Parts: sequence; C-alpha cells; structure tokens
Amino acid sequence: MDTPLPELGRFAEPALLILVSLSDGPKHGYAIMADVEQGTGRPLGPGTLYGALARLEERGFIEALPPEDRRRPYRLTALGVRTASEQLRELSAFAELGLRRLGGIVR
Amino acid sequence: MIALLIRLYPARWRARYGDEFGALLGERPLSPFDAADLLLGAVDAHLHLRGLGAYSEHQKGFPMSLRLGGYAAIVGGVLWFAGLVLLQFGSVAAPGPLMVLLGTVLPLMVLLGTVLLLVGLIGLSSFQARRYPRLTWAAFAVPAIGAVVSMVGQVGMVTTGDEPFVGDLSGWYLWMFGSLALVIGSGLFAIATWRVRTLSRRAAALLGSGCLAVLPAVAFASGGPEQIAHVLLGASLLGFAAGWVALGVSAVRTHQAVAPTLEGAAS
Repeated sequence: MDTPLPELGRFAEPALLILVSLSDGPKHGYAIMADVEQGTGRPLGPGTLYGALARLEERGFIEALPPEDRRRPYRLTALGVRTASEQLRELSAFAELGLRRLGGIVR
Repeated sequence: MIALLIRLYPARWRARYGDEFGALLGERPLSPFDAADLLLGAVDAHLHLRGLGAYSEHQKGFPMSLRLGGYAAIVGGVLWFAGLVLLQFGSVAAPGPLMVLLGTVLPLMVLLGTVLLLVGLIGLSSFQARRYPRLTWAAFAVPAIGAVVSMVGQVGMVTTGDEPFVGDLSGWYLWMFGSLALVIGSGLFAIATWRVRTLSRRAAALLGSGCLAVLPAVAFASGGPEQIAHVLLGASLLGFAAGWVALGVSAVRTHQAVAPTLEGAAS
C-alpha cells in the first residue's frame, strides 16, 4: 500500500475511527463525531476530526460529496475501503495475539 | 466565539472547510476541551499547509489528551500544595537571603501549579463537557479568572507588601481570592466528574471533599486559634491537592487501558 495510515502519526487513530465510521455509508462531520463517540466512548474533538478528515481526503482514502445545506458528507473511496480492511485485519491479528498471550496468565 | 475560532485557521483551509466546519461547531455547545482542540487544530492546519505537517503529525500524543491532562493534574497538585505549605512554614523559618529567594520562588511554584491544574482540567474535561457543558465551562472559567487574580495579587505582594494594591485590597487578599476561585472551580469540576463516572469517582469525591473543607477552614483561620486553624487548613488543602493527583492518576490509568490497541495496530 502506498500511503498506509501509520504515516499520519497522531492522526492515524482518528483516521481509522473515521474510516470505520464511514464504512456503513456516507456521513457528515457531526455524524462521524457522534458515531465515533458512541462506538468508542471516547470524545473526538472537532479540530482533531477535521485534521484527520483533511489528511484522509488529501491521500484519497475518502471523498467529499455535494453539500447538503451547509453540511458536507464524506464517503470511502476504493483505496479507503482497502486501507480500512487491512488496518482492521492487522488490529484483529494484534488483538488475537495479545489475548492468546494473556490466556497463559489470566485463567 | 465560533467565528473567532474558525478565523484562526488559514484562509485556504477556511475556503475549503470553513462552512461545513462552522455548521459542525454550531451543532452543540463548545466545551473547554473543544476550544483547546480547535486551537491546536488551527496550529496544525497552518503547519500542514506550509508543508510542515510532519512536525505535528509525528508528535506522539495529543497535548490536550487524557494522558497529558492526567500528568498535568498530578504535577500541578503536588506543586500547588508543596508551594503553599513551604510558603507558609518554610520561608518564615529560613534565614534572611534564603527567605528572600523562597519568597520569590515559592509563589511562582504555586502559580505554575495553578496553571498546570488548569491544563489538567482542560485535558480531563472532555467527557464531562459532553453532558454538562455549562458546568464544565464554569469549572474552567472560575479558576482561570482566579489564576489571573492570583497573579495580580502576587505582583501586589512583591511591590506594595501589605499596603492596598487594587482599591482597598492588598496583594495578599487578591491572591487569596484567586486561590479560592481555583478551589471553587475545582469543586464544580469534581461534581461533573462524579456524575459522569468516566474517571474514578473516589478521586472526584476526594477532590470535592477537599474543596468543601477548604472554605470553612479559611473562615476558621481568620478568627480561630492559630494552631488549630493551621491544622484544619493544611488538612483541607492536602485533600484538595490529593484529589487532583488522584484524578490525574485515574486519567493516566484510563488512557493506558484504552490507548494501546489502535496504536499497536497502526505501528
């Protein structure tokens, strides 16, 4: 992959959360923020959200749709879908490894 | 306030995102955490558009994050309490030149502790602000104003001693009012934290109890026997500082519990 999420540094985590949020259809900024907060229980600040959105759009992971009123929805591109899938698979493998190791300690 | 915050972003960025960003910010009340996040976002946008994005992208940890807020609360609580106690007892007992040095350094230590507690409050307030935005803003604004008043008071103590500095009030009184504002604001923050349950409720209760105990202790100190007053005041201030430290520890633990998975996957 040409531009993996880790290159986004501290924006990598919000970027992945945004990609996952958009995986069930286009959403505008506030809907993404609410979805992430509801899904993770962790607040996502508006400055962080737009810092990550701008980078994702710049790198072609998401694209903007025509605005509805003043709110502009975003959707995943094909590259964004591939990137999110790959990142989530890595995350899943990492979680599995951790749980397997912890299985030897926690019974 | 929203328009002012958006104007901090570069013109090119505003031309692309300004309208939708304004709509997003109008959806719900801004919290101190949001305001800090917007300020940092504006700095990041300037750096990013100038090709310096790598600088902000690769800084590990968001400055207003739970972790930084937690550490600020821990260090701020310790500095604030140690500075006050040493100011009260240490500087009086010290010999001449050392007393002058301590008289300068210790108020700065208390002030630094106050500023760190405000940073901690911003960093730890994101959860509370979602449900109680007004309470959280009050919890930030009251001690922030208090910090400014304290600073003015310290200037007064250095320049005019016990003489009136602002109106009839001496520097010491101004400093005292500022410090009480910090205590009152922290009490409001403890209430919001207790109700939200994201951070340790025991820590919130400790902070709240410390804040509640400070006010009667201060009142008693102005008229009661000196030794008992010192003990009461010391104990209540210790409870206040310990509450902040405990909240900071709770925040760092919470951060450690939720952060590593996504970071691990991304690396």
